[in-house]
Order: sequence, then C-alpha cells, then structure tokens
Amino acid sequence: MDKTQFLLWVSLLLFSIGLLGLIVRRNLLVMLMCMELMLNGVNLSLVTFAQRGGSVEGAVMVFLIFIVAAAEIAIAIPIVLLLVQHRRTLDAGAYTDLKG
Amino acid sequence: MSSATSQLLGLIVLLPLVGFLFNGVLATRLGGQRLNETVVNFVACALPALSFVLTVVCFMQLEGGGQPLLEATYTWATIGGQSFGIGFYFDRLSAVMTLVVTGVGTLIHVYSTGYMHGDESHPRYFAYLNLFLFFMLLLVLGRSLLVMFVGWEGVGLASYLLIGFWFDDPVKAAAGKKAFVTNRIGDAGFLLGMFLLWGAFGTLDMTAINAGFMGSTPPAVSASLVGILLFVGACGKSAQIPLHVWLPDAMAGPTPVSALIHAATMVTAGIYLVARMSGVYMHAPEASQLIAAVGVATAFFAATIAVVQYDIKKVLAYSTVSQLGLMFVALGVGAYAVAIFHVVTHAFFKACLFLGSGSVIHALGGEQDIRKMGGLARRIPITFVTFAIATAAIAGIPPLAGFFSKDEILWFAYASEHGGATWLWALASIASLLTSFYMFRLLWLTFFGASRMDKEVEHHVHESPLSMTGVLMVLALLSAVGGFIPVAHYLEPMLPLPPVPEALHHHERTLIALAVVFAFTGLAGAWYFFSGTAARAAGVRTRLAGVHRWLTNKYYIDELYEEALGRPLGWLSKRVFLQLGDRTMFDGTLHLLAATARRGAVAFAAMQTGSLHRYALYVVVGVLAAVLWSLRHG
Amino acid sequence: MIENLLLVLFASAAVMGAVLMLVLRHPMRVALALIATMISLGGVYGLLGVHVIAVFQIMIYVGAVMVFMVYAIMLLDVRDPSFTDRYSALLWPGLAACTVLAGVLVGSAWQGAGPVAGATGGLFGVQPFSAVFLGRYWLYFELTSVLLVVAVLAAVAVVQIRGRRRAGPAADAEPALPAGAAAGQEGVRHG
Repeated sequence: MDKTQFLLWVSLLLFSIGLLGLIVRRNLLVMLMCMELMLNGVNLSLVTFAQRGGSVEGAVMVFLIFIVAAAEIAIAIPIVLLLVQHRRTLDAGAYTDLKG
Repeated sequence: MSSATSQLLGLIVLLPLVGFLFNGVLATRLGGQRLNETVVNFVACALPALSFVLTVVCFMQLEGGGQPLLEATYTWATIGGQSFGIGFYFDRLSAVMTLVVTGVGTLIHVYSTGYMHGDESHPRYFAYLNLFLFFMLLLVLGRSLLVMFVGWEGVGLASYLLIGFWFDDPVKAAAGKKAFVTNRIGDAGFLLGMFLLWGAFGTLDMTAINAGFMGSTPPAVSASLVGILLFVGACGKSAQIPLHVWLPDAMAGPTPVSALIHAATMVTAGIYLVARMSGVYMHAPEASQLIAAVGVATAFFAATIAVVQYDIKKVLAYSTVSQLGLMFVALGVGAYAVAIFHVVTHAFFKACLFLGSGSVIHALGGEQDIRKMGGLARRIPITFVTFAIATAAIAGIPPLAGFFSKDEILWFAYASEHGGATWLWALASIASLLTSFYMFRLLWLTFFGASRMDKEVEHHVHESPLSMTGVLMVLALLSAVGGFIPVAHYLEPMLPLPPVPEALHHHERTLIALAVVFAFTGLAGAWYFFSGTAARAAGVRTRLAGVHRWLTNKYYIDELYEEALGRPLGWLSKRVFLQLGDRTMFDGTLHLLAATARRGAVAFAAMQTGSLHRYALYVVVGVLAAVLWSLRHG
Repeated sequence: MIENLLLVLFASAAVMGAVLMLVLRHPMRVALALIATMISLGGVYGLLGVHVIAVFQIMIYVGAVMVFMVYAIMLLDVRDPSFTDRYSALLWPGLAACTVLAGVLVGSAWQGAGPVAGATGGLFGVQPFSAVFLGRYWLYFELTSVLLVVAVLAAVAVVQIRGRRRAGPAADAEPALPAGAAAGQEGVRHG
C-alpha cells in the first residue's frame, strides 16, 4: 500500500463521513460544516494526485476550490441567519416548505 | 340485347334534384327565405312537368327505334379491377313506370300548391317532394341493382322526411321513424340478395342477371334464395306482412305525400323490383309461391282491418296494403305484366282517392274522423263526384279502370300454370268483395246521410281551390278510362303472360261475372248497413264485439312486435351495450388509465416530504447506483 | 520513514476529527473538531510537499471560513431541539447507506501502480506556483475575483432586503446584520 492509495482512501472516507453528517445531523450550521468537510475530502484527493503526477494544475484547481468555498460560506451563513430570524430555530426538520 | 344511347335520361332524373337544391337552399331558412310562395310553387311544379315531357319524348324514341335506350353517365368507383358505373336504362317496363311517376307526380305537385298553401314550412315540403321524385326516378331508370338500391334507399329517406314533416308533434315524428326502420329491415334482405347475385355473376346489371338465369347453364346461386331475399326487400318497401306496420302510421304525413308516396309510387317499387327481376322468379317456383301466399294473406288481412277503421286516411292506407297484396299475387303466379297494369290503374284511382280525402279534410278544416262527417255530397260536389268515380274504380265496377286490372289478376290467380290455384282466387275474391264493401262504406259515411259534423266545422265547409279540384278531375278521368290502356299487352314482349291450361279457358267468363257480382254485392252491403243512420251496422258491431275489437286493434300486431322485438332489443341495448360495454368496458378502461396515472403520481409525490435529510439520502442512493453501474459497465 | 509515520498520524487525526464532528453535540465543539481536521489536512499537504496549498489551507479555510462559522455559532446560540436531539430521523438508513457507499468507493478506488519518486518540493513552492497560476491561468484568477465581489454584493443585498422590509422595531435582528456583512468582508480580505 503506497502513499497515494492510502491518502485516496482517507479522502474517500472524509467525503463519506461528510455526506453521512449531512444526512444525520439536525443543526443547520453543523450541516454546513459537514459540507465543508466534503470539500476538504475532495481537496485531499486532488492534492494527492497533483503531487503524484507532478502537475501544478491540480494545485491550481485546489486553490480555486478554496476561493469558491469561501464565497459559498459567505452567502450560506447569511441565508441561515435569515432563516433563523424567520423561524427561530436551527432544526432542519422545521424547514419543510418544499413538501409536495 | 342491343340498345340505343340517349342523352335525355340523365336529365329526366336530375331535373327534380335541381328543384330540391333550388328550393331547399334558397327558399328555406337555410338560405334566408329569399323566395315567395309563387316562385317556389312554380319551380317545384315546372321541373317535374319538364321531366314528364322529356319522358314522353323518350317514349316516342323508344317506339320509333324499337330498342331500349341506354345512358351510361359515369363510373362511380373502381375497386380492385371491378368498376361500378351509374347508368340509366329505358325499356318498355321503365317507360311505363317513369310515365306514371312523372305524370302522377306532377299532378300531385300541382295539388300540393293548393293543399299546402299557407303552411309555414311550405318551401321545405316542396324541396323534399322534389327530392323524392329524384330518387324514385333513379330507382325506375337505374340500369343496375346498385343504382336502383341508391334510389331505393333515397325514397325511404324522402318518405321519412315527409312522413315526419310536422316533426314538432312527437307522434308524427315517431311514425316517420317507424317507416324508416321497417324499411331498413327489408333492405337487409335486398342487400343480401344483391351480394349473392354479385357473387354468382360478378355484375349487378339487371339485364345481364336475367339473361344469366334464363340461359342454358344454371347459375351458381339458387334462384329461390335470391328471390326470397329480394322479396324481403320488396315486403319492406311495399308494406306486406310482416313489414306492413309502417304504412298506416305513415298517414301522419301531409295527404299529398300519402297519395304520391304511399299509393302511387314508392310502395310500387317492390312490385317493380320483382317484375324487373322476372328472370330470377321464373326459375324460382318456391319463391313465387311464397310471394303469392304472402300477397293474398296481406290482401285479405288488410281488407278485414279496413272495414272497421274510421279515420278516412287509415281506410285508404289499409286499402293500399290490400291492393299491393293483390299485385303480389299476380307476381307470384307469373303474371308480371298484369301486376304492372294494376300498378298503373291503382296509381290513378288511389291517388284520386287520397287527394279527394285531402280535399275533404281541407273542406272540414282538418277533421279526419268519418263518424263526424256526412251529407257532404251537396256541399262539395266536385270532390264528391271524383271520389265516387275513384271508389267505383277500386271496387271493380265495370267499365272503370280497376275492373280490368283486378279481373286479370283474379283470372291468373285461378288459372295460371305457374302457381294458380282455386284457394288463391277465392281468398283474393273475398278480399275484393271486402274492398268494395269498405270503400262504399267510406263513401256513404263521408258524403251521404245526415250531417254529423260539428256546428263550427259545418259552417266553414267549402269546395277546394282549382289547383286541387283540377287535379282530382284529371285523375278521376284517368281512373275511368285507364283500364283501356293496353299495358299488359304492351309489356308482353318482355314480360310474357303465364300459360293457362286449355281446360280452364272457358271459366274465364264465369270468373268475370263473379267478380262483377262481388263488386255490386259490396256496394249493396255498404248501402244496406251504412245508409240512413247506420243503425244496422251498430247492431252488428255490438253482436260481434270481440271480432270488432281484434280488427280495430289491427290484430294486435304492433303490440306483438313491441313485446317480442322492441323490449328485448331495448333491454339488450341498455343493459349489455350501454352499461356493460360502453360504461364498464370503454369508460372503465379510460378511467382505469387515468386513475393509475393519478395514483402513480400520488405515490411519487410521497417522496417529496420537504425534509432535507431525506433528499440528501436520495443523493447518496443515487450516487451509489451510479458508481455501481459504472463499475459494472467499465 | 518518519515521514510516513507523520503522514499516517495526520491522516488519522483528520479522520478522527471528522468522526468527532458527527458525534459531538454542541455546534461550537463540532466547529473545533472541523478545525482540527483542517489543520491535520494542512499538515498532510505539507508532508506531501505541496507547501503553497498547505499554507492557503490554513489561511483560508481555518482562518477565514471557520472563523466566520464560529462567529455564526456564537451569534445563533439557539437552544432548540437540534441541540438536545442531535440526530435526524434518518440516522440508521443514512448510516447504512453511507457505509455501503464508503465501502464501494474504497473497495473500487484506484489501485495504484506503485510509488512515484518525485522531487516535488520545488514544483509546489510559492514562486513556481504563482508563475503558473497568474501566468497560464490568469483568466480563472480574474474570474475568482469577480466571484468574490459578487458574493459580497449578494450577501449585502440579501441582508439589505430584510432590512428594508422591516421598517419598525426589529428586535434582536439588527445586531446580526452588520456582523454578517463584516464577516463576509473578512473572507474577502483573506481571499
């Protein structure tokens, strides 16, 4: 088992755990953090392959993902804030307006 | 048989159609009622008159050239190598029929201008009447059974339209429907006969079919079977048992319609069919016997019912059925030309009788019950005289028209070698006796004796206008002298009279004498029972009350049909076809499909709970499926 | 040798942090677990020799994103059912599905063709990285700046609409708004 394979498994594991957290946890903010975890898992796999193949493009890709994640969180948290102002709760189970 | 071509036959047929279109479109509400009554009358009468003139011209041509006229207009359809064409054929038989149709038809059109004056649907009436004439001419001038059938159906349609002319009255509309449906049943037989003929000969040309049967090799189809099937069609159209039920009800239509369609022309279409297909019937003894038997039974049966009817038109209707029965007797014993002779004379006197009754009804402002008439002889003299002449004609009083034609029928019923029998003659003679009896009864109750009219009606009794009385006079004249027209002799070259055994020849005089005796017996009997206060008739009525009830209710045949056929069909239609077939099967299938779609949608909608966690789970499942699929398929 | 050990250590720490994220109840503690995971990942990147990414991982992710998250958690200290009852109704189905998923992914992941000896320290330094990034991929760099500007505008707009609609006394809503906008700006500065 070499480095690449090991790190790949770690990244897949992180991704799965993040996805699990999205399904399992109730708190909206915790769900956001799980999404960040998923991104991190993906980043890890990208970096692994970039390092292995010696390509800078992979690193550039990772960098871009950083920026997108930041922009995303900049929007997501105000949205959560507004939701909470409306319903006074962080429980994802209370937001079922998409029903039907 | 060779023939000459003509250009006029198609024109004869089409002129009334032009009248139908012209009046039907421009004069009715369809086209905005642009024409006034005079124009409608003129167009409607002039075109049939023109047809009559052209028929006379063609008749001259026929006499001059000695060969039948032929006109092939166009090919209707070509199906798989067989072509069906529309063609017209004018030989002696068609000549006689066409002259009667156009001649009497024109007279009745003229009469209608007086009778239907002031009716609110006046243009529609004349349009339909012209339409009828068009189809009738198609029927008699058609070269093949196909063209004849088109005319056959068309006159049925025109009859329906005209019987139910005043369709606001549901009774009248129902009468029209009854006529159409009964005709249709007969048409099924006609069609089956046509199919068999087509299958055997590959053509529907009537001369070819007759030649095929007369030829040396026997054809592939049984002549009797074809004969019976065609006769079923004739039964429907000519109101023989068991399809006679529509004719009395058809009196719901205007009286000129009854005269034209149900006396002079349409009902004779059946006779014409059998006479035209004489080649078939000459080789079908069983079918001919059946025709004779049905004919005489109908003649007797209808005559008995006519004795107790008190609606003036119903008496004449049953009389028509009875006379048609006599014509079928003649056909059944092989005397085809004699039957046609009777058609011609019957057209004259029956039309005169119907139109006369129309004149009476007109004079009395709509009254049709003869128990409410009486003493009209002096008040409406022209109507009385013409009616009396026509009554004498139908009763068979010599030397009027009916005597000659009916006597020939009775003679051949007795003596023909192709099925003549004493019982046929006897039954037919009794029917003739009854005919004389009830016709004179009608005459007496309507015109003689003390007046039984309502005071209001009596006050307004007036003679009909010239358009009506003029026609009556012409028809009465024809009824008087029409017997001297040698129709049967004229048709003999193509419709030979049946042979008569030598031994019976000397009975001819006896039979003629007997016929005259019966006619006068009927006259005397009617005078005896119905003159004065008709007290003796009332006495007989109470003593034979049961018989009277049977006859008044027409032997309960309508009720029988309703119970045996109408109710089961109605049940079948409602329970099986409507509820089971239409609602359960068809609608049910559609509803099932719709319900399946709806329930499927509801089931799928249950997936969308609005819970984000659940959606994320779906994502996982989807990703898993995609990964597994891509692993399997490389 | 020691490198591999450290690598395994950091990787395990990352995974443990992830698992802790799922288990802890208080959102603040979850955030701290996530920070731990991220720092471990930074360590992994460093060990791999991808220094520039390692640095930016710490600076952007931990320094901006997670700080913002911590602010939000502090702000929304709501003791609602999600606090006491931290798992949703789909705990067991989710657990089952994700276990299967993890198994399938790990089981079918790329079976490597052996280690590659690569001197990568030099390749992923700041200078060569920047030269490539701002040289060949300059367009995407510009686009990311646009993205960030748009994100800021969006955050402000989202918040302002709420502000405009609430004409009267807005209770405890107001203090939240400037903090959110400010946190967004912070993210921009570090990006």
